[in-house]
Amino acid sequence: MKKKPVSLTALALAATTLLAACGNDASNNAASSNAASSAPASGSSGASASAPASGEKVKLSIWHNFSGDDLRAQAVRAQIDKFKAAHPEIELDAQAIPPDGYRQRLKTVAAAGEMPDVFFTQSGTSIQEFYDGGLIQPITPLLDKYPEWKNNFMEGALDRLSFDGQAYATPLSGSATSLFFYNKSLFDKYQVKVPTTWDELMTAIKTFNDNKITPISLGNKAAWLAQSSILSSLADRVTGTDWFLKAASQDGASFTDPEFVQALQLFKDLSEAKAFQTGANSLDNTQMEQYFVEGKAAMMIDGSWALTNMAATGTPEQLDQVEVTVLPSLPGGKGDPNSISGGSGGGMALSKTVTGAKLDAALELIYAIGGPEGMQAIVNSNSVVNYKVEPDQAVVTPLFYKAFTLFKSVKLTPVYDAYLTSAAADVINNGLQDLLLTGKPEAVAKKLQDAQAQALGK
Amino acid sequence: MTNSGRLRAFIAVGLLPTLFIYAVFVLVPIVWSAYYGFFDWKGIGASKFIGFDNYAEALGDPIFWKAFKNNLIIVAASIFGQLPIALVLSLILRKSTFFQRFVRSAVFMPMVVASVVIGMIWGYIYHPQIGILNFLLEQFGLGSWIRDWLGDPSINMYAVSAPVIWANIGPYLVLFIAAIQNISSEVEDAAKIDGAVKSKWLYMIVVPMIWDTIKVAIVLCISGSLKAFDLIYIMTGGGPAQSTELLATYMYNNTFEVFRYGYGSAVSTLIILISMVLVLGSQLLMRRK
Amino acid sequence: MKMTTDGSLAHKAGPAQNAGRPALSRPFKPKWAWLSNLVLLIYALLTLYPLLWLFLSSFKTNQEFFGKPFALPSTWHFDNYKRAWEIAGIGPAFLNSVIVTISAIVLTLFLGTLTAYVVSRMNFRFKGLVMSLFVAGMLIPIHSTLVPLFIMMNKIGILDTYASLILPYAAFELPVAIFVVGAYLTSVPKDLEEASMIDGNGYWGTFFRVVAPLAVPAMATIFILGFLRFWNDFAFALVFINNQALKTLPLSLSVFSDGYGTDYSLTTAAMSIAVIPTIVIYLIFQEQIMKGMVAGSVKG
Repeated sequence: MKKKPVSLTALALAATTLLAACGNDASNNAASSNAASSAPASGSSGASASAPASGEKVKLSIWHNFSGDDLRAQAVRAQIDKFKAAHPEIELDAQAIPPDGYRQRLKTVAAAGEMPDVFFTQSGTSIQEFYDGGLIQPITPLLDKYPEWKNNFMEGALDRLSFDGQAYATPLSGSATSLFFYNKSLFDKYQVKVPTTWDELMTAIKTFNDNKITPISLGNKAAWLAQSSILSSLADRVTGTDWFLKAASQDGASFTDPEFVQALQLFKDLSEAKAFQTGANSLDNTQMEQYFVEGKAAMMIDGSWALTNMAATGTPEQLDQVEVTVLPSLPGGKGDPNSISGGSGGGMALSKTVTGAKLDAALELIYAIGGPEGMQAIVNSNSVVNYKVEPDQAVVTPLFYKAFTLFKSVKLTPVYDAYLTSAAADVINNGLQDLLLTGKPEAVAKKLQDAQAQALGK
Repeated sequence: MTNSGRLRAFIAVGLLPTLFIYAVFVLVPIVWSAYYGFFDWKGIGASKFIGFDNYAEALGDPIFWKAFKNNLIIVAASIFGQLPIALVLSLILRKSTFFQRFVRSAVFMPMVVASVVIGMIWGYIYHPQIGILNFLLEQFGLGSWIRDWLGDPSINMYAVSAPVIWANIGPYLVLFIAAIQNISSEVEDAAKIDGAVKSKWLYMIVVPMIWDTIKVAIVLCISGSLKAFDLIYIMTGGGPAQSTELLATYMYNNTFEVFRYGYGSAVSTLIILISMVLVLGSQLLMRRK
Repeated sequence: MKMTTDGSLAHKAGPAQNAGRPALSRPFKPKWAWLSNLVLLIYALLTLYPLLWLFLSSFKTNQEFFGKPFALPSTWHFDNYKRAWEIAGIGPAFLNSVIVTISAIVLTLFLGTLTAYVVSRMNFRFKGLVMSLFVAGMLIPIHSTLVPLFIMMNKIGILDTYASLILPYAAFELPVAIFVVGAYLTSVPKDLEEASMIDGNGYWGTFFRVVAPLAVPAMATIFILGFLRFWNDFAFALVFINNQALKTLPLSLSVFSDGYGTDYSLTTAAMSIAVIPTIVIYLIFQEQIMKGMVAGSVKG
């Protein structure tokens, strides 16, 4: 798995190689506790492949970022622990890495070609990087082995985790990124109709502004939020999904097309109608959710992660006021109004170097985490999954139950940053912040087009 | 062994282990990273040698220069904010009374608290709705001064400079206090006999005596300001619309977020080169004595 | 906050010659002393506030943390500490941090002081080049060294050991140590060393018996700065250590986030635990700096 810059430089470094010569034994030891590629793949695993009961333990490593105390992290860890207990013949090295550093850690070991056997990766662009780099292998055999499991995933759930007709992971969670939350007591109090069309939305904004209530809570400091939650759905309403998929692949559509510029203009219109609180660009998503749940804003367009965050920071009375629906429709828009932008979250990917008995063990581990039992545990932790399963109403919060029921009943449309290259996603994120300030829709559209075209080499 | 032989042996033993560790763990990665800068490489998979393209692209990117300019603001704020304050405090706080010890320790405390905590507190100070600063301005009848301190690109770099200065005085205070101890009471007495007044005493005697330490402090300031980004990143995330982007965040994003490892490496090499120029420039300017 | 220090700056300019006392030990006329002390006190309280806020927040619930960020906790949730301690595995991480930080500091101080002595007192070829190399190390953003260091340490087989943190920490802090101690030594008169050489102590004897004790204030400074940096490092600790049993403290502090939100009651509790050693170290070594001063003035 060596890349050119690595090996060349390694040679050039006389001092290091000198050290390397005397440190070789230690290096092998370290690598094997690392359980990455070299040591186990050689003699031992070949033997145990044919005779797993010979007493030799299969060593397996898994990295994930479910490190915290939140319910979902606990649920995933519990599945891993169960697997560990049920398989004494497997020596499992499970690493829970804090989410803040997860990507950096994974990127570093990937650059050095030292991947763990099984690891969590985000869907879309992230897993594609590993696929393009030839670091992962399909898990299709596992899906074929359990057809009932395979068939229970929602339509399209595996799309952003598959390449060339082969699935490389199954989603551990789904996400709805543009749930339309509203505070029903504020709507009652000011006798505002819950908007189902754009005009009704603008009327609602005006009424709330007249009454000194922030119409829509937005905290866009982390820049991806407006893109993922507002633009993904709003633009789909205008342009339709087909147009976006073409534009994203730079095949028959361009982000400078008038329909996309119109979508950006609508976003700018919201901002100019003072739909968002002042300083929306310097608040983060937790603050925006807090602001909404405290009843200071009437509406909020946010993802399914808000369900957990609001449950953690709001009182039960406050949460009772929160209702959830889809974004208003746009007359004349090409998109399906009964839709929410969303898709599959990440899943457990399988390193290409895993073979033999280790491969069997790894696949079983993936099934233990993301299989039917895991899906049930995750949905019961108030997390949306793209899997046909009924949450246990005694366990989940009422708001989650409402949102998940809605999620199952609507069509999912693409989230922008799951389809754009990361460079282009960066550009549109910053562009939306700019639109909240002084930016022009045409200019932002142009920059996005340039970035996507350049990143795809077109 | 001859005297000069012993000296030479001592110099060798004094230098070589340090140089060895330093070379292996610092210099090699620097060169290595500069080398990656010549490749179009995502950090995963195949890489392609592209010569100076990454370097040229960075130098041609307006955001790179924007980040550079923002960094200069932080460098200037550090040198002209932190150092003078630390110097003055170090002169005032030289005694070992309880009060002085207390103040000295207090000034250092923002350093021990995680940046995320400092960033959150200052976030509340600048908060657009419930911010303490805007509240105070309103109370004092300065309502027209109310701003979206972190969200307005025309002022937010200056707004984030204040916490950077405030949080980082501690180390320089410690540095100066340690250095000032060298000034013996004889010098103080001499100054007294000369009838030197306080301010003159400061400039004429203390500053020259700890000039070497001040020079080091300026180098630390420059290097710290060009590398540091956590506090600002916590407060603004580099935004809005990249208005508070710094060289280090620019490098980090390209390396770990946008999957352009080669480009990120080129940027980090440029950061070293730029800092080198700044450091050498500052050292030339300070050639007195 | 800036204003208060500007204020004290203004006072400094005033004439403050005082009869009977060395000028330095009494900077202000009594008339102004109370005012300057008041300004200092306010400034000190403002700089102490984040620490207080951290401790107070660590006893709150998440609702309170966001809802009333500046209020006292309505009930004191001591169990935040217990939960944080258990979930984040703070016990072993704490021990690892102590081992790594102290080893790195000792290495930095020994090599740094020795090299500083050599470069500030002796001449050798390529001295200028060596010094500029040291500057370069202070300027590199450490994130860009992660991949090269990872690959290299993997090859020489120290990845996933304490050494994979101790050696890079020391290497990156050495330039600071050399420059700070070096600058300090430059302003110390050479008489004592020369006397020691004449006494037949040799270079090593002089280094250990005269130079190192003289440099204690500068070394204490490096101890404080290095401790802070090593104790709080996240990037290296994240990437170079794989074995769960060797993880250091900063990793434990960031486990309470799920990428979209953070459990601040547990995070602040864990941070409060982690901050104690840095405060203790600061207080101890601040005294060392001041003690050095007394010793210095006696010699002077």
